[in-house]
Amino acid sequence: MHDEQGGNYMSAENPVVRDSDLGFRMNRRQLIAGAAGVAGAGALLAACGGGEVGPLTFGARTVDESPTKQLKALVAAYEAKTGNTVTYNATESNAFQNNLSQYLQGTPDDAFQWMAGYRMQFFAQQGLLVDLSDVWDKIGNQYAESYKIASTGLDGKQYFVPQSWYPWGLHFRKSMLAELGIDVDGVYNWDDFLKMLDGMKSKGLVGFAAADKGGWEAMGTFDIINARVNGYQYHVDLMAGREKWTDPRTAEVFGYWEQLVPYMNDNVLDLEWDGAMQLLLQRKAGAMLMGSWFGGNFKEQSDADYEDLWIIPFPEINPEHKRDTIDAPIDGFCAAKNGSNNEGGADFLAFAGDMEGVQAMLDTGVPMTSANKGQDTSTYDAFQKQQLAVMGEAKYITQFLDRDTRPDFAGPVVGPALQSWFKNPKDVNKILESLQSQWDALPPL
Amino acid sequence: MSSSATRPSRSRRRRAFSRSDRLTLGVFVGVPTVLHLLLVWIPAVLTIVLSFTYWTGINFGDIKWAGTANYTNIFTKTPAFYDALRNNVIWLVWFALLATPAGVLLAYQIDRQIRGHRFYQSAYYFPVVLSLAVTGIIWNFMLRSDGFINGIIGRDIDNAISFFGNYDINIYVIMVIASWRHVGYIMLLYLAGLKAIDPTLREAAAIDGATEWGTFRKVILPAMRPVNIIIVVITIIESLRAFDIIYVIYGTSAGLPILGVLVFQNIAGEGASMKGAAYAVILFVLSIGPIIAYLRQQFREDVS
Repeated sequence: MHDEQGGNYMSAENPVVRDSDLGFRMNRRQLIAGAAGVAGAGALLAACGGGEVGPLTFGARTVDESPTKQLKALVAAYEAKTGNTVTYNATESNAFQNNLSQYLQGTPDDAFQWMAGYRMQFFAQQGLLVDLSDVWDKIGNQYAESYKIASTGLDGKQYFVPQSWYPWGLHFRKSMLAELGIDVDGVYNWDDFLKMLDGMKSKGLVGFAAADKGGWEAMGTFDIINARVNGYQYHVDLMAGREKWTDPRTAEVFGYWEQLVPYMNDNVLDLEWDGAMQLLLQRKAGAMLMGSWFGGNFKEQSDADYEDLWIIPFPEINPEHKRDTIDAPIDGFCAAKNGSNNEGGADFLAFAGDMEGVQAMLDTGVPMTSANKGQDTSTYDAFQKQQLAVMGEAKYITQFLDRDTRPDFAGPVVGPALQSWFKNPKDVNKILESLQSQWDALPPL
Repeated sequence: MSSSATRPSRSRRRRAFSRSDRLTLGVFVGVPTVLHLLLVWIPAVLTIVLSFTYWTGINFGDIKWAGTANYTNIFTKTPAFYDALRNNVIWLVWFALLATPAGVLLAYQIDRQIRGHRFYQSAYYFPVVLSLAVTGIIWNFMLRSDGFINGIIGRDIDNAISFFGNYDINIYVIMVIASWRHVGYIMLLYLAGLKAIDPTLREAAAIDGATEWGTFRKVILPAMRPVNIIIVVITIIESLRAFDIIYVIYGTSAGLPILGVLVFQNIAGEGASMKGAAYAVILFVLSIGPIIAYLRQQFREDVS
């Protein structure tokens, strides 16, 4: 596919490209180096373009309270520094996602919130995003190499500025664990895990809060069980179509998953992610697998609820793979080519990616684990420090199923397939055959 | 008729139009025709063409010919298609056998001015004022796990009754919601028709000793033919194009697959592919087929 800016041609058969295409090979050291970097390292390079770029618009893909507060603080800090005006537009996140192609081809905002990896690369390849290589020249030294890789399109240029990351892991309320007398540090492998769930169930609790009405929530559970049973490489290869859904190893994933069903709430298909979160918030459920981003929602309830949160990695299943893989998606920003002020969009993103902008977001008190090295990890609260520890144990980082495989496969095919598995777990072989045949029927890229 | 006989009469008629008549006609017929072609038929034809291609919907240069691949994919490899078809058929059968007759019955009773008919009329008409999306939002609040009904019967989110997630019943839950609006809609249409019927027809039937049911079947129903046609067409269209309620409650996740949602799911967002166009064409054929057949039969009867 041709890149409109440079005319560079990247072969889809190039194996190196395919790898960065589907799931990032970030290693642990790179990531820790990124998160635990020296405070304020990049503040010296804060010099942004200034007020000459003219008014611009920013599109947020959220209408939730906490992130809105954060983004508005970022916009206000930019306006205060540059004297430039920014129009803030917000769209509910599912609606934003569904409409993105049309949005980017129409009259989009100059800068907007989006996700790293495949989902950014796809639009970059269509020539709809602004090349942010210049921005990376300014802010690049504030980020670990792994974040730069995640921000890079297939043509080797950067199209994305990271904002934050969050790990997917098992979340608990510390106060509940204390009441139940459970020490989660001792929950290391699958047997420990089932024993813990048994204990919760015997107390009348939902052990493993689950939701899949939205069609994506359960993808996280699939990702992690697959990585635990079959390892990182198998998972990445399956996502890229190099391994088969009909492989007995894939079926094995569902075998383990089925063991969790008795500990789940029985209205999985009635609840969206926030329903599962309510189960934990209301102390109806003991554990929940979710991305730590929802900490902000706990904080909206009360500081006490937020401080009660805890996270551990999903348990080991196959000793060969330990707990070496984790889903840790990166969220951030892009600039739209069809926006009326490309220069302004890029200027705003240079500020958002710089520690000065990051600090404005952190100052709101909304919890955020920033991608910027400048966020001093010693200022992390206990829950964030634990998130960092959970990340630290992982050797391989994946994004999330719907960010690691083709978009025309993840949403329309895998989503409904997992829902029908919840409907009847005994249908697993039929479902997997159907998944494979639908993968095979996808149009060539 | 021979052509020699028609020619003079035609030309005479043509001469009867003055210049301003022709201008008026041209504007009144021409503008809507152009708009209709531009906004309905050209996109429809393009959709049909695109359903035979692979395309992500962004750059025209990326369009690749796919032959019938999208259709074979749908018919042979996509179980969701048959689930959706099943749900649309349930929808149609439910509307045809329950909701529409219920609307007709209500209209008939209200027209007879049974006690409290004004109240019933307003009560059943009320949901029609709301759009289907709003209807979906209201019922979602009522029936979700942390919604009103579960709250009032004292069920918490962990042991709530599953209205939308239980695949054995959820299509019927949706049918009840959709009927809530459909019954009132049909009632209103039928009531308007009934008001236009000459009351002497009914009196004559009564004098001849016809029963209530006999009067309805032999006198009222035939007199209502134009309205009946509209109602049959509306019932078919409403059942097949169903989308709003499901989208509001389930989003694009296909938690309850129906054809309308499959079109959207495959053509919106990042996962856009022309499989969505193929679904749209299937839906188009399914909707227009029975309607054309029905209308042809009706008009043929009218002629004879």
